[in-house]
Amino acid sequence: MANFLSSIRFSDPYFSVLLMLVIGVGMSVAFVLLSQALGPKRYDRVKYSVYECGVDPLTTASVRVSVKFYLLAILFILFDLETAFLYPWAVLFRQLGWFGFLEMLVFLLILLAGLIYAWKKGALEWQ
Amino acid sequence: MEPILFILFGAIAVAGSIMVVTRKHPMASALYLILTLFAVAALFVLRQAHFLAAIQVIVYAGAVVVLFIFVIMLINVPENKLPVERLTALRFLGVAAAGLLILEGAVLARKTTMPGGTAADSGSVQAVGRALFTDYLLAFEITSVLLLAAVIGAIALAKKKI
Amino acid sequence: MPLGNLASVSRFLPELAVTATILLLVAVHVVGKNRQSSASALLSLAGVGAALLLTALQPSMPAVSLFEGMVALDGFAVFFKALTALATIVVIFMSMDSAELSGKSQAEYYVFLLSVLLGMFLLSSATDLVMLYLSLELVSIPSYLLAGYLKGRKSSNEASMKYVVYGATASGVMIYGFSLLYGLTGTTQIAEIGRALATGKAALPLFLAAVMVAVGFGYKIAAVPFHMWSPDVYEGAPTPVTAFLSVGPKAAGFAVLVRFFYTVFASPDGAGGPWTLSSPVDWTLLFAVLSAATMTVGNLVAVNQKNVKRLLAYSSIAHAGYMLMGFVLLTPAGIQAILFYLVVYLFMNLGAFYVVILVANGTRSEDISDYAGLGSRAPFAAVSLAIFLFALTGIPPFSGFIGKVYLFAEVINRGVYWLAVVAALNSVVSLYYYARIVKVMFLEEPAEKAELAVPAFPRALLCLLAVPTLLLGVYWEPVIRVAANSVRLLAF
Repeated sequence: MANFLSSIRFSDPYFSVLLMLVIGVGMSVAFVLLSQALGPKRYDRVKYSVYECGVDPLTTASVRVSVKFYLLAILFILFDLETAFLYPWAVLFRQLGWFGFLEMLVFLLILLAGLIYAWKKGALEWQ
Repeated sequence: MEPILFILFGAIAVAGSIMVVTRKHPMASALYLILTLFAVAALFVLRQAHFLAAIQVIVYAGAVVVLFIFVIMLINVPENKLPVERLTALRFLGVAAAGLLILEGAVLARKTTMPGGTAADSGSVQAVGRALFTDYLLAFEITSVLLLAAVIGAIALAKKKI
Repeated sequence: MPLGNLASVSRFLPELAVTATILLLVAVHVVGKNRQSSASALLSLAGVGAALLLTALQPSMPAVSLFEGMVALDGFAVFFKALTALATIVVIFMSMDSAELSGKSQAEYYVFLLSVLLGMFLLSSATDLVMLYLSLELVSIPSYLLAGYLKGRKSSNEASMKYVVYGATASGVMIYGFSLLYGLTGTTQIAEIGRALATGKAALPLFLAAVMVAVGFGYKIAAVPFHMWSPDVYEGAPTPVTAFLSVGPKAAGFAVLVRFFYTVFASPDGAGGPWTLSSPVDWTLLFAVLSAATMTVGNLVAVNQKNVKRLLAYSSIAHAGYMLMGFVLLTPAGIQAILFYLVVYLFMNLGAFYVVILVANGTRSEDISDYAGLGSRAPFAAVSLAIFLFALTGIPPFSGFIGKVYLFAEVINRGVYWLAVVAALNSVVSLYYYARIVKVMFLEEPAEKAELAVPAFPRALLCLLAVPTLLLGVYWEPVIRVAANSVRLLAF
């Protein structure tokens, strides 16, 4: 155990990530267990019935969603990918200089055509 | 430290993917897929592939699985009508073939040296970016044409009237 | 030494022309009012025509590697760029005449078509694994969209769906093979991979990688056993798209197959071959078996087909089998025979599909039984179809015969007699089903006697396809010379 602890490098940038992970998971688990242990327990029929804002549910909760969600989701993925490329570019912006700026401009201009198309077709609207 | 984390996240990834293929409800599968993708992102971090890990979380766990979930909700098969998958001979054969491939991969990994990714920081955001915007510039720019075709294709397919 | 990014742009004009046309198509569509006008088609024609002209100017340039080694500009790439651009031009004309596509929004269709063309340009010149994979996807993804372009038709949806599922699986297996190659060598440049593998001994992983990559390329050329998608996709897709898929992506698939395997798993003895296997993996035997299986399955299943598009799908599988014969020989003459065959195949196959479109415009049917009496109802179309079908069979005065002669001659020359025998038997089988359509057209009584009108413009285009099909059967010298000059793979 001591060996294990000594192998942790606290200066590692990922140490904070690990710390946050431990605290985050720990807190959520702790709250669930605490409320289980400390909360008063009364079980009856009413408590186990399904309800929706205090009234009995009218329909099942799993309704078929519109295909519009699909379109939005796939457009989100595509433009998300675009941003993913912007991330290393932004990191290297100064090193790449004007040529790097030009490279990204071409990339974005081609994708801009897609954005304008989506806009014109009303794909970004919720009719 | 590293071997322990590797085994931990590797186990999560394997367990998660087994859950993905064995769950009855597709929604549960999709949620386990997110877990698997996060675990794989952690494995990428352990191999110093930081950029890949970030992309894995942003694009795959963040966007692709959301699309999966929307599609599952769009098709919305009621619980009692979910197809029951039978254990046919073909499925056993598939599992056996997959097992053979994994075994083969393990044997290969032990027997052959793989010099790939020699530089220590080849997975950092800076290194990937430098490769992307110099050596692989053409591939980067062509990606935009592929994305453009995909944007137009998605709208052309999903819109009732284009 | 590869050229840098900026220096490469001036040698990348055909690709730039196609990209610019794609952007213009979107721009014109966004500001324009009429979605069904032929403006998109004409704009695409101009763009692809410009790309073809710019490609025609390229052979004089010395072979170079462009964009830091992403793509090669050599005789081989130029040949395939010209071939695929020509096929695209013919398909644009076919699309303008197709009743299936009229009334649909046009711009998107041509954006997809031109994206595939750009993908084919890059696929035939890619020399880097990353570029290779990307261009393969650029060919595939818009192809899925094209196959499913008739949203209201169930078979079109099915075609698109099956195409996506098979395509995604094949490219997944292929990229796993790529990752093995990268792992073994630590580089994505195929020339460097070839050099690194030539010194090593890792036979088992290499064989695994070769098989996995063969899955991806085999899927693109629809070789058995990766052909299962093609009959359903060919039948369900709009006919001009079927014609396009059976010629364009198939040709580009052969281009990448030759370039990849001849660079990674073989090394040339001097400039322009012949090649020798550089690793202990004998993939030529594997592909020889695939070739025999491909032509046999294609031809045998074609015999029983009732739908013309489905029949032509199996026939195109069989033709991929014939062309694979030239691939396994590792000689320049074998590659030259493939290149020549692809030119001939372009004319005869597009021609056959064009007649199918014209007949379907009149009869709304693609069943062979509805071709009964076509000889009297539409003699011009029937005679053209007969020419294309006999050429596809490979009967002497037609160009298909010369194409086969070059392939067979080199197979026999290299002593692979069993393959030649299989191919000869297959040609006999193919005569049966091609001739059956001709028999139905000219000897059977039609259910309906009314004349099928073929307008003047389609007649002219049919002539333009039929004349080379006939002419290349008697005077093929210039084309074979171009093919011979195009067997120039960039050596590093």
